[in-house]
Amino acid sequence: MALLKKSSIWIAFLVALLGLPLLFDSILAISILNQMAIGIVFALSYNMLLGQGGMLSFGHAVYFGLGGFLSVHALMLIEYETMVFSILWIPLIGGLFGLLAGIFIGSFSTRKAGTVFAMISLGIGELIAASSLIFSSFFGGEAGISGDRTFGPTFFGFDFAQNIEIYYVAAVWAFIATLFTWLFTQTPAGRMANAVRDNPERAEFIGYSSRKVRFISFCASGMFAGIAGGLFALNYEFITEENLNAATSGRVLLMAYIGGLGYFIGPIIGAVVLTLMNSLLSNYSELWMLYLGIMFLLTVMFLPRGFAGFIMMHQVAWVRGNMKMLIKPYIITGIPALLFTACAIVLIEMSHTDDEVFHYLGLALNPASPITWIVILAIAGGAFYATKRSLIQLNDAWETANAIPKEEEA
Amino acid sequence: MAILSLIDVKKSFGITEIIRGVSLDIVEGEKHAIIGPNGAGKSTLFHLISGRYNVSAGSIHFKEQQIENKPPYEIARMGLARSFQVTNIFQRMSVFENIRCALFWSKGYGYSFWHLLGKQTELNDEAMHVLEQIGLADRAKFPSGELAYAELRALELGVAIASGSELIMLDEPVAGMSHSEAQNAVELIRKITEGKTLIMVEHDMNIVFDVADRISVLVYGEIIATDEPKNIRANSKVQEAYLGEVPSA
Ligand SMILES: Nc1ncnc2c1ncn2[C@@H]1O[C@H](COP(=O)(O)OP(=O)(O)OP(=O)(O)O)[C@@H](O)[C@H]1O
Ligand SMILES: [Mg+2]
Repeated sequence: MALLKKSSIWIAFLVALLGLPLLFDSILAISILNQMAIGIVFALSYNMLLGQGGMLSFGHAVYFGLGGFLSVHALMLIEYETMVFSILWIPLIGGLFGLLAGIFIGSFSTRKAGTVFAMISLGIGELIAASSLIFSSFFGGEAGISGDRTFGPTFFGFDFAQNIEIYYVAAVWAFIATLFTWLFTQTPAGRMANAVRDNPERAEFIGYSSRKVRFISFCASGMFAGIAGGLFALNYEFITEENLNAATSGRVLLMAYIGGLGYFIGPIIGAVVLTLMNSLLSNYSELWMLYLGIMFLLTVMFLPRGFAGFIMMHQVAWVRGNMKMLIKPYIITGIPALLFTACAIVLIEMSHTDDEVFHYLGLALNPASPITWIVILAIAGGAFYATKRSLIQLNDAWETANAIPKEEEA
Repeated sequence: MAILSLIDVKKSFGITEIIRGVSLDIVEGEKHAIIGPNGAGKSTLFHLISGRYNVSAGSIHFKEQQIENKPPYEIARMGLARSFQVTNIFQRMSVFENIRCALFWSKGYGYSFWHLLGKQTELNDEAMHVLEQIGLADRAKFPSGELAYAELRALELGVAIASGSELIMLDEPVAGMSHSEAQNAVELIRKITEGKTLIMVEHDMNIVFDVADRISVLVYGEIIATDEPKNIRANSKVQEAYLGEVPSA
C-alpha cells in the first residue's frame, strides 16, 4: 500500500512530464519546457550539495558546463563519424565527465565545509571560467563550440531535428535523474550526508569521516550537474563560457534556494518558477533581472524555507481540515498586496521608460506628469497600509487554523 | 586485562597544561567513574581518548593498539563509543534517523549508496529497539532539535550506545536531569553496559558510588587516586582536594 502510494507520485510526475507538451505546444512553450527539464536536474544536483550536504557552492556551473562541453564534443564525434552512437546517450557522457570533474575537484575541496568550501568553490569557478577562454581549442573561446544533434542514428525514425523530440529525451532523463537523486537520499551515504550537514563532528564519533561523506555527495552532485549539462548541449547544440561561469552558478543557487533547500521537491519548484520568470518576464520587461533579485530578497527574508516550505507550512491546517478558514483572509490580504506590487512595478517601469505614454494594465499613463506619480504613490501607500492592517487578521486566522483542538490538549 | 591504557598523557592548550601526565588502566568489563572538580580536565581527557584532540605527549592504547592522535572515526570503528557533556546530535534529522545513523557503521553499511534504507528491516528494527530502550519510541519521527531537555539527553545517550561498542564513555550523562529522570537514566546505563566496559564522568556522588566498580579522581589535570569506591571515600588526599563535595553518607 505504501509502495503503491509512493510509486503513484512518481507515475504522476512522469505523466506530467510527458503530458505537458500536449497542453502547451507552442514553440515558446516547448522551449520553456526544455529549459525546465534541464533546470530541474541542475537544481536537484545543487541541492545534493547545499540542502542535503550543507555545502554552499558558488561554482556549481563548472560541472554543468564541463558536462555540456564534453557533450558538444561528443556530438561532433558523432557528426564526423569518429564514433557512432545514439544521441540519447549524450547526457550520460555529460554525467560521466561531471563525475570525473567532481572526483578530481572534490578530492581537495570537500576537506572542510562552511566558508572554506564556499571560497574554494568560488575560486575553482573563476579558474575554470578563465581557463575556458584561454584553452580555446577545446572551449572555443568567447564564441563557444557548437554541434549538430541530427547526425546520429535515428531512434525509431526520429532524427531529433525538432525541439519537441529533444523535450521527450530531456523529460525521460529528467525523470531518471530525479528518481536517482531521490533514491540517493534513501541510502546510508545519503543519510550520512544529512548527518554531516547537521553535525560534522559527531558524525566522526559514529564511525564516519565527514570528509569522505561530503566527497561522495560532491561526486554524485557533479555527475547529475553534468547530466543537466548534457541535456543543455542537446537542446541548444552549442555551449559557451557563460554556461560554466559565476552567473550560471548563481542562478542554480537561486533556483534551489527559492524553491526550498529543506525539501526534496524544493529545487524542482524553484527550477519551474525561475524558468517561467526567466522566459516570460523577459518578454514583458527589460528589468526582469531586477524583479528576480527582489523576489530572491523577499524569499530569503520572509520565506527562509522557500516556496516548498511555504506550502508545507499549511500541513497542520490541512490535516486539521482548517484550510477553508484561511482562504478568506488570504484573499483579503492578497488583493491590496497585489495592488501594491502592481503600483511598485509601474513606478519602477516609469522611472526607466523614455516613452511619452506608458501603457500598463490597459491604462495609458503619462510618466512626465507629476500627477501620475502622486496618484500611483497614493494608491501604493493605501494598498501598503491595507495589506499591513489585514495581516493582523490573517495572523489571527492562522493561529486558529493551527491551534490544537480542545480534546487533543487534554 | 586492560582494555584501555593511558601512559603519561599530557595536553596543553598554548602554554597552559590542562592534562599534566595521566596514567590509567581501564580493566575490561569494569565500570569506571572519573570524578573531579569543575575544570579539572575530565572532558579534555575524554576528548584525548576518543580522538577529538591530539595528545601533547604520552600514549593511549585501546585493545593493544595505539590510538592517540588517530581520527575519531577510526577509534569509533574499533569499538569505542562516547557521549558528550553538551548535547551533540544531528538536530535537523528525526530521532529515529539519529539512532539509525549511529548504527550504520557497526551494521556494515559503510558509505553504501546502493542499499535502500526502507528495505533494511533488520537495521530499522534494531533502531526501533534502541529507541524503546531509551524511552523515545513514541518520538521516533520527531525532529530531534525540538526535543525537551531530558529527551535530548536520552537521545545523546542512545547515539552513543546504539552500535553496541565494547567501551562506552559517557560525559555527565545525567547532568541537568530531575532526580527521577536521572534514576531512570542510571538504570538504563546499567542495563545497556552489562558485560561492557564503561567510563563515566559524573558529579553526582550517589550515582558514582552506586554504579562504579572503581573511581579515579582527577584534580587539576592529574589523577590523585584510583581505587574502589569505599577506599576513595576514606582517602584523605581525596577529601582534602574535594572537601565538601563528597557526601558523608
Ligand atoms: N580547546 C580548549 N582550549 C583552551 N582551553 C581549554 C580547551 N578545552 C578546555 N580548556 C580548559 O581546560 C580546562 C579543563 O576543561 P574540561 O572541560 O576538560 O574540564 P572538566 O573537568 O570537564 O570540567 P566540567 O566538570 O566543568 O565539565 C578548563 O580550564 C578549560 O577552560
Ligand atoms: Mg566536562
